[in-house]
Amino acid sequence: MGKQILTVFRKPKYLLLATTVAVLVFTFAIWLPNLSLLAKVLHPDSAGSIAQKAGFVWSLYGSISTNFTVLSASYTIVIAVLFGVNISLLAYYITRMRGGVRSVSSTSAAGLSGLVSGIFGIGCAACGTFILTSVLAVFGATGFLAWLPFGGEEFGLLGVGLLLYSIFLLDKKINDPLVCEIK
Amino acid sequence: MEEKTTSNRANPYLIPAAIVIAGGLVAVAMLMNGTGNTPIVANTGTNQPTQAAPQPTGSTDAVRPVDETDHIKGDPNAPIKIVEYSDFECPFCKRFHDTMNEVMASDLGTSGQVAWVYRQFPLEQLHPVKAMAEAVASECAAELGGNDAFWQFADRFMELTPSNNQTQIETVIPQIVQEIGLDQTAFQTCFESGKYDDHIEADIANAIETGGRGTPWSILIGPDGTTYPINGAQPVAAIEQLISIASDGQ
Repeated sequence: MGKQILTVFRKPKYLLLATTVAVLVFTFAIWLPNLSLLAKVLHPDSAGSIAQKAGFVWSLYGSISTNFTVLSASYTIVIAVLFGVNISLLAYYITRMRGGVRSVSSTSAAGLSGLVSGIFGIGCAACGTFILTSVLAVFGATGFLAWLPFGGEEFGLLGVGLLLYSIFLLDKKINDPLVCEIK
Repeated sequence: MEEKTTSNRANPYLIPAAIVIAGGLVAVAMLMNGTGNTPIVANTGTNQPTQAAPQPTGSTDAVRPVDETDHIKGDPNAPIKIVEYSDFECPFCKRFHDTMNEVMASDLGTSGQVAWVYRQFPLEQLHPVKAMAEAVASECAAELGGNDAFWQFADRFMELTPSNNQTQIETVIPQIVQEIGLDQTAFQTCFESGKYDDHIEADIANAIETGGRGTPWSILIGPDGTTYPINGAQPVAAIEQLISIASDGQ
């Protein structure tokens, strides 16, 4: 594993795709707790100049050091990067190998599961601020968090594992020649 | 002899199903996070269910007006007020406490442009017993020593203690009470009286009513009354930018 990934990322468009996706996922994770605040600040009728609003949006990136534990900040960055790599490999495989969407469904499912699991692990799970607690609240199971040794951050680690597995599967598929095997 | 292609046997519905399930979960979670129906707080420390908890509207406009009963750092007549609903056991509340102290020590605080209001939001489900006890202790500090004693207690408590139920309240609370020079007997009487349970419940209810799902949950009230929700421990730069934006709404 690894040679094929390096081959793919020597092509600038796949590197650009991976970087773009990683930045988008990271931005989503950072902004997620304050989407309603962002909507209010960025509303055309709200107070403040465009420069002030842009400065505020940018300043929220600093919350990676204040609104996350060291563990959750680490896996949030890792998940963003791995998801970018995942999408880029998937795009390479589909376009170059002409395998079609059906041929990579299992790896896509692993990648998506990884992203969703990672999102559940985002941020201040210990304080009940983000998505995991909201989902648990639907089922009246928020007390479940208190029983988890890492207060819900397990989901982030699970996300990293699933994304790595997805990349492993994709790398294997890219390596496999598209031939009819004799069994 | 059997022949197979290497990769076309996967279930064709797997991707759409995964996307739909993933999207559905995230959408539901975001919806709950944004407008919310069920807050994490279910108990107020007296081991009674939340029979009195209001249905959350998620509207920050429901924030209770700041008055003389509040714990206020800075000029009470400041045009901008940041009302924080906080839990003494929450690690992110400790970070945000430092952030707000930094804001209040800057020109924004010293010039009287911003006031910081502290309200109680102990998360009983996550920090059973201790968070509520610490909230009561801070209220007793305020009763015995006034507003300054409240902030001395809060600042020192945030400085000294770990989080997430690791605090040894039996030793640290008496230590702080002694350090800030409060009457220890009177403090103990107040602490055990239960007289602040209703007050704390009212703070919790207002936090939920305004859309609070966890801590720290803050609402910036601008000079024109516009309210801005602040979820979590945002950095100093973000708070200063938000103050600057709100200041324009006069």
